[in-house]
Amino acid sequence: MKKIRSGIAILLKKNISKGQLTGYSLANIIGLTVILSGILFYCDSRHHQTDQDQFFSDDYIVVSKKVTGVNLDPVNFSEEEIKDLSSQPWVKNIGRFTTADFSVNATINMGGRGMSSFLFFESVPDDFFDSKPASWGFDPSSNFVPIVLNKDYLALYNFGFAIPQGLPQISEDIISTIPLKLYVTGKNGKSLVMNAGVVGFSSRLNTIAVPQDFMEWANANFSNDYKEETARLIIKIDKLNPSDSEKYIRDNNLEIAGDKETDSKISRFMGIVSGVVTATGLVICLLSLFILILSIFLLLQKSRPMLRNLILLGYSPNQAARFYEETVIKINACITIVSVGLSFLCRLIWKDSLDSLGLGNGNVLFMLGAALIYFIVVDVINVVIIRNHLNKIWNLG
Amino acid sequence: MEGSIPIKESKIWDVAAFSIEKGCKLCIHSESGGGKSSLLSFIYGNRADYVGKILFNRTNIKDFTIPEWCEIRRRHIALLPQEMRLFPELTVLDNIQLKNNLSGWKTVKEIEGMLTDLGVADKLNTPVAKLSIGQQQRVAIVRTLCQPFDFIFLDEPVSHLDETNNKIVAELVDSEAKKNNAGIITTSVGNHLLLDSPQFVNL
Repeated sequence: MKKIRSGIAILLKKNISKGQLTGYSLANIIGLTVILSGILFYCDSRHHQTDQDQFFSDDYIVVSKKVTGVNLDPVNFSEEEIKDLSSQPWVKNIGRFTTADFSVNATINMGGRGMSSFLFFESVPDDFFDSKPASWGFDPSSNFVPIVLNKDYLALYNFGFAIPQGLPQISEDIISTIPLKLYVTGKNGKSLVMNAGVVGFSSRLNTIAVPQDFMEWANANFSNDYKEETARLIIKIDKLNPSDSEKYIRDNNLEIAGDKETDSKISRFMGIVSGVVTATGLVICLLSLFILILSIFLLLQKSRPMLRNLILLGYSPNQAARFYEETVIKINACITIVSVGLSFLCRLIWKDSLDSLGLGNGNVLFMLGAALIYFIVVDVINVVIIRNHLNKIWNLG
Repeated sequence: MEGSIPIKESKIWDVAAFSIEKGCKLCIHSESGGGKSSLLSFIYGNRADYVGKILFNRTNIKDFTIPEWCEIRRRHIALLPQEMRLFPELTVLDNIQLKNNLSGWKTVKEIEGMLTDLGVADKLNTPVAKLSIGQQQRVAIVRTLCQPFDFIFLDEPVSHLDETNNKIVAELVDSEAKKNNAGIITTSVGNHLLLDSPQFVNL
């Protein structure tokens, strides 16, 4: 079998146009590199590097109702309003902030100097966390409450409070190591001392967040008549209808917490840039694929008498096709590998810029997957063309 | 075999049926353009633009599948086309091995022996493009013999050879056919292969 293949290979190699194949390879390397770089850039621009930014992606916004004048009753969303909001086409998922119906006093002991403060807690369903801290969750038997703190609160302390008061400024790492004692006091008279610790920071979630299961457990244990009311909602938005979301929020007099709108616009812009790059690559690749198909057709056409003679010697169309198929597969494998390598090189161009935005290091599996799909699809197309052509030669003589 | 193209005084095209058996020695003779090559192409499955039926062991050859045809061409029917169909860019040995690798029938030594008999052994590594037509004809004959066969069809095999070489080719073909207990069918326009007591048939 090996002898047969090498015999045909010697013959067919002499009939292959190296110029055509080089042209095809170069065109395809450029096209595929642009596509893969586009995908890589998209993944990088969607991936947040730092811990605090991983909690919420740019797809989420937090909304509340506007407080006007002095409201004695809390401004809550009614069930109808939540239902209406859920039915909007730009809303993919909606989660309620659960507030605490008990009071919490937290104390810390820093080198013998104790500090204490009343705290407020809120929780959101775990589904709305992109990446939860390792110790997220609550088990009543462990008596430990993990807390995610808004990054701005620490900045307020460090720059607004600590300096004028002559207190030390502290980093996120330090604050995460400080043990907290919580004095939980319920309206039903029950109280409990619990351990707590800051396990992460979020610059997106403007609250002091605790696990949802802790909140449910505590509200059930420390409140006599807990009534679930929702003052803030977290919404996963469908970015295909962003303008609708802005209009709805304006019309319904809602407020968005933080800088979500800006983030969303940047994210949308990044998405558009990646889309344009990928689409350009796709066009180049389609053109180069066209060149390959044309080259293969010309090659097969040119080799027609030779292939006919091989078939008359007793070679099957598939045996004659195999050399062309192997050649095309080898060339495509080289193109794919070189393009993947070049895409990684291209990544260096935007790496620093994205790093400074806290983005980058996205999952490369999507890009590798796209390269693999390209490799398989192009090979299948080529093999089908080659086999069809050889069968035609057999049938038509 | 029923032919569709009427040729004057034809003994094959015009008869209702014509059959050949293994072990035969047949020399088909006709004037140029008489349809000799067409007939061999029909039998070899290379062309199907005829009416009538060609049967191998009572099976219509139009019913054969691609793998069946490949097997027939590798093991049962050897054909030397008039135009030889050698690959000019390949050497003599590469050309022959292209067939021999497929059938695994001859050793390189045996191939060299046949080329020596035909006086072209020194051209073993020469590209076919550089050979004369007569030399190419001898190389093509050796290539045709590099397979087992029940019938060997030789289309004007000695049209470019002198009488000496004609006799050598005839002996070589005859001895290979005997080994295979095969039939020999040759064509000619006058200069026929000098086989021992062949049967002559006008197309």
